[in-house]
Amino acid sequence: MNPFKQLIDSAEKHFTGSGKLKMLEPLFDATKTFFFFPSHRTRHIPFARDSLDLKRFMSFVIISLLPVLVFGIYNTGFQEGLARGESYSFGHAFLLGSKYVIPIIIVSYAVGFFWEILFASIRKHKISEGLLVTGLLFPLTLPATIPLWQVALGISFGVVIGKEVFGGTGRNFLNPALTGRAFLFFSYPVSMSGGVWVTAKSAVDGISGATALSVLAPEGEKISSALSNSGFTLSKLFFGFVPGSIGETSALLCILGALFLIITRIANFRIIIGGIAGLIVTSVIFYLVPGHSDSWMHAGPLYHLCAGGFLFGISFMATDPVSAPGTNPGRWIFGFLIGFLTITIRVANPAFVEGTMLAILFMNVFAPLLDYGVIKYKASKRIPNV
Amino acid sequence: MENIKILKGFKPRLAGMPDISVIQAEAPETIAVPAMDIPYIRPRLLVKENDLVKTGTPLFCDKRNNCIVYTSPGTGIVKQIVFGKRRRLKEVVIALDKKDDFIRFETLPRDSINTIPKSKIVKLLQEGGLWQSFREFPFKDTAGENRRPPMIIVSLNGNDPFSPHPEVVLENNKDYFEFGIKLLKRFSEQIIITSRKSSLEKLNKFKNHITHIVPDFYPAWDPGVVLYYLKKFPAENHSWCISVQHLILVAKFLLTGIYPVKRIITVTRPNNKKPHVVTRQGAPVKDLVGSLDDNLFITTGRFNGRAVGRESHMGFFENTLALIPDNQKEVLFGFIQPGLTKPTASRTFLSCLTRAPKTLDCNLHGEERACINCGYCTNICPNDLAPSFIMKALSSDDIEDALSYGLLDCCRCGLCSYACPSKIELTEILSHGMDAHYKDKE
Repeated sequence: MNPFKQLIDSAEKHFTGSGKLKMLEPLFDATKTFFFFPSHRTRHIPFARDSLDLKRFMSFVIISLLPVLVFGIYNTGFQEGLARGESYSFGHAFLLGSKYVIPIIIVSYAVGFFWEILFASIRKHKISEGLLVTGLLFPLTLPATIPLWQVALGISFGVVIGKEVFGGTGRNFLNPALTGRAFLFFSYPVSMSGGVWVTAKSAVDGISGATALSVLAPEGEKISSALSNSGFTLSKLFFGFVPGSIGETSALLCILGALFLIITRIANFRIIIGGIAGLIVTSVIFYLVPGHSDSWMHAGPLYHLCAGGFLFGISFMATDPVSAPGTNPGRWIFGFLIGFLTITIRVANPAFVEGTMLAILFMNVFAPLLDYGVIKYKASKRIPNV
Repeated sequence: MENIKILKGFKPRLAGMPDISVIQAEAPETIAVPAMDIPYIRPRLLVKENDLVKTGTPLFCDKRNNCIVYTSPGTGIVKQIVFGKRRRLKEVVIALDKKDDFIRFETLPRDSINTIPKSKIVKLLQEGGLWQSFREFPFKDTAGENRRPPMIIVSLNGNDPFSPHPEVVLENNKDYFEFGIKLLKRFSEQIIITSRKSSLEKLNKFKNHITHIVPDFYPAWDPGVVLYYLKKFPAENHSWCISVQHLILVAKFLLTGIYPVKRIITVTRPNNKKPHVVTRQGAPVKDLVGSLDDNLFITTGRFNGRAVGRESHMGFFENTLALIPDNQKEVLFGFIQPGLTKPTASRTFLSCLTRAPKTLDCNLHGEERACINCGYCTNICPNDLAPSFIMKALSSDDIEDALSYGLLDCCRCGLCSYACPSKIELTEILSHGMDAHYKDKE
């Protein structure tokens, strides 16, 4: 027999029954089932069950995030190099980036799991896999310069207030990772806005460490040319070699992750396509409004799509099934309105240059209402059977 | 023949489809009439242990309607009356004599079917213990004899993907089948006879009777699904259904005056084309499955049957034994393996790229978690229900909402539980909801 399995089996008695560490049973159980996939026999009909379970479901989200994560780490180092006026090799930039990003992820997971284990132990239920995703999504929405204590505070708020107080994974109506980010954004605006997006103070003129969304064109100049002048060409924004949150910068890799999630049907394509459609329609409408050629109102759909965290948000945050609607028409509306609200906030409210987070959280609140409407409508179309 | 367009269901191909050869089972030593597969029954025993019974003697009746009796499918001595928890009747076991001694019932002349009073047919069938072959929606309870159903659905295929092939059942029974259809026409104007697409090619002799063709994936041929796609008015919710095997039994009984005891069942196990078996109603499971060296779990339908032990017997309504492998092995990093052979309704295993037949086992493949609203149950439900929302309505005791969402359209096919990645017992919850509503109405 596998010696590792023997170790786990021999430890089991301490965590179950009247063992000394009974309190930590959820932790033990999570560890055990992580390594050794449990296989219980079905007790009720149907006797056969699908091979997909929640562990695999959540693992697939992690897999889809890996390209974004690796690039985010590299880009952190790369941006520091740019700011210092030096050009780092990939390895160097990656190592440098890891120095900033890895501690943030470790703190996020450690503090998140602490709360999860605490609540699972008190409530005597199993540790849910939802935190695997939340714990990685949250750091990817932060600037690499964030102080670690704020990471700990943010994930605590996200997990406890965003999720556990409502009963844990599956019962939260807000996306926990975004709840944590919103908490930090409003509580510590200094760490979350302005020039925090690059890890080194600029030694080179013209690099401010701000994101593309905070660019404003001088009087009479077009926003697109102002963006290119500040180093935000469309191709740079698309490939992601710009300052921003760790995970959000590369539109290309976000699309890749989204495609993976759509093909494996972990994420619902309706939300993603609906969101992109909403963004395009809204930005085109604003584009057609005369005047304002110097602001983001006139940036057009491509810049809106590639700049900021929209693609990251719509691919990984909005598609969180728990906080999204559970009906297909609801999902289309949900996605579309996220796109619409993102542009509206970006254009109409200069205090919040990044609208995605607020748009998704706002629509999370409305998801149950969308579901309610769709379900009632569908019920009215059924031939009544009572 | 019309095609019914059904899009949702269990699509993977399954290994072990039985061919249509038939073997004769040896005569069993004991038989039984189980009460466990009879919906909503409140049995009242009519025999005691060690009583002598003939083929056709009533063994127990239904307290809700004493006219509904379940008769003995053999001649011998009542060997044992088995009770389960809370003294619920499980089965009445009979030790068979060598020779059958039939109770003679009245016969109907073949050409009188259109003239004889309906009440007489009902009375004959109730005495003979075959009236319960007619089941009434939405609960699939025994049909009420005084109602006129707007529709009667005859399903040529059984509850499991590997239920007996209609060709095997209908072979040499064409007369009875046609007599049965005439009989049904006495009860309702609209007779629906459905067949799986794949069964059709061997049914040339019967094609003129088949009214609707359904796609070839489970549970498209279930009468509940067929009803959902055909009904146009609320009144049709109280349609009846009958399986083709029971229809032939009914016809045989009325024409011969003796209780028909032969049944055709399938015994399927993975990677083994075990053919159809001709046996007696209530045959013991252990005789049918033979010696089991593998670790196999015995059910009377992998999606919506019941689990039976080796000591149990086949029920009145049951015509298949699905043997499901049960390998309870804990696999290292099992949750992230590529899964080339794993059956799944999702797209998260490589197996979804191949068309190779898959083997279902009886493991949960995970642990129960809270509902994450992923919509897999809605995507697979053949009757367009949203099981997760009905489940939430039921768990907050909101039966009115659950009903308006279509709870009673549920045909208990089991696919919502099958697909759920959180391993929630949706079918059980919905089923309990329906049962609770049934008791409320009573």
